[in-house]
Amino acid sequence: MDLIQLLAPIIILELILAIVGVIAWFKTENTNGPRWLWLLIIIFITILGPILFFIIGRRQ
Amino acid sequence: MQWLTIYKKEMLEYWRNFSWVWVPVVFILLAIMDPLTTYYMPIILDKVGGLPDGAVIELPQMAATDVLMMSLSEFSSIGVIIIVAITMGIIAGERKSGVVELVLVKPVRYANYISSKWAAKLTLILVSYTIALLTSWYYVSILFEEIALLAFVQTLSFYALWLILVVTITIFYNTLLKTPGLVGALSVGTIIGMTAINAIFSHKLTWFPNNLSSYIRQLLHTGEIPTALWGTSFVTISLIVALLFLSFYTFQKKELA
Repeated sequence: MDLIQLLAPIIILELILAIVGVIAWFKTENTNGPRWLWLLIIIFITILGPILFFIIGRRQ
Repeated sequence: MQWLTIYKKEMLEYWRNFSWVWVPVVFILLAIMDPLTTYYMPIILDKVGGLPDGAVIELPQMAATDVLMMSLSEFSSIGVIIIVAITMGIIAGERKSGVVELVLVKPVRYANYISSKWAAKLTLILVSYTIALLTSWYYVSILFEEIALLAFVQTLSFYALWLILVVTITIFYNTLLKTPGLVGALSVGTIIGMTAINAIFSHKLTWFPNNLSSYIRQLLHTGEIPTALWGTSFVTISLIVALLFLSFYTFQKKELA
């Protein structure tokens, strides 16, 4: 029993979220606010960054 | 047929904007966070705690049912906010951008338009929620102790009513207002207001929808469905149906005006 067992599932899910966020970012032409800033948010703010991008980052 | 067309179009959109990936992932994270951190708390304290040497912390032994309830309470707080956030633009956004005129210029019935969107959003949310709670159940079973399948299924279904109510409240405000942000704020405000009303009048309003989770806790402890849970479910379902019909009505009035 080690800390890695706690972290493994969370890290995997975080990674999925970040990767999907970056893919969605590539496909989005119009973002609310500067586009490059959103990429930094998606990559560097774990969990919350991609969620924020999916909810308010994209302009329909 | 018309209904199915709009439903399928929504589903396609959820694939295109990655909702089908990120919503389940976020819900799973919400659901497993508490069981994992509760179980590993001694290790976490040991590694990052910076406790003085010889400090002994007695952590209470958590029952499996309490840990499952922790997952549910995450849904009651952060989960509700996420649900409102992804639902607040579903009709209001289309009205703002004018898409709704493009749809309704065809002979689409208002009730079909709203109910198909409602059903599509519910499909996304309930499927994600089911996957998330199953994951939580799995972790609770291996880290703590097993919870019977029947009790789990009952918990899953009764709590789903609360999430359906949250979606329906948001859809209702969608038909009333055109600004997604305002829809979101009012929906969250309503839910907080309901919690406050429940806190004040809980001894009178035993069947108030907000009581669902406390009865579910009882269910998990005793293994039997409390009679008040049936009453609360009945009230919640009636409220969902009433709000849905009210949404048809207000939308029709707003669009014809």
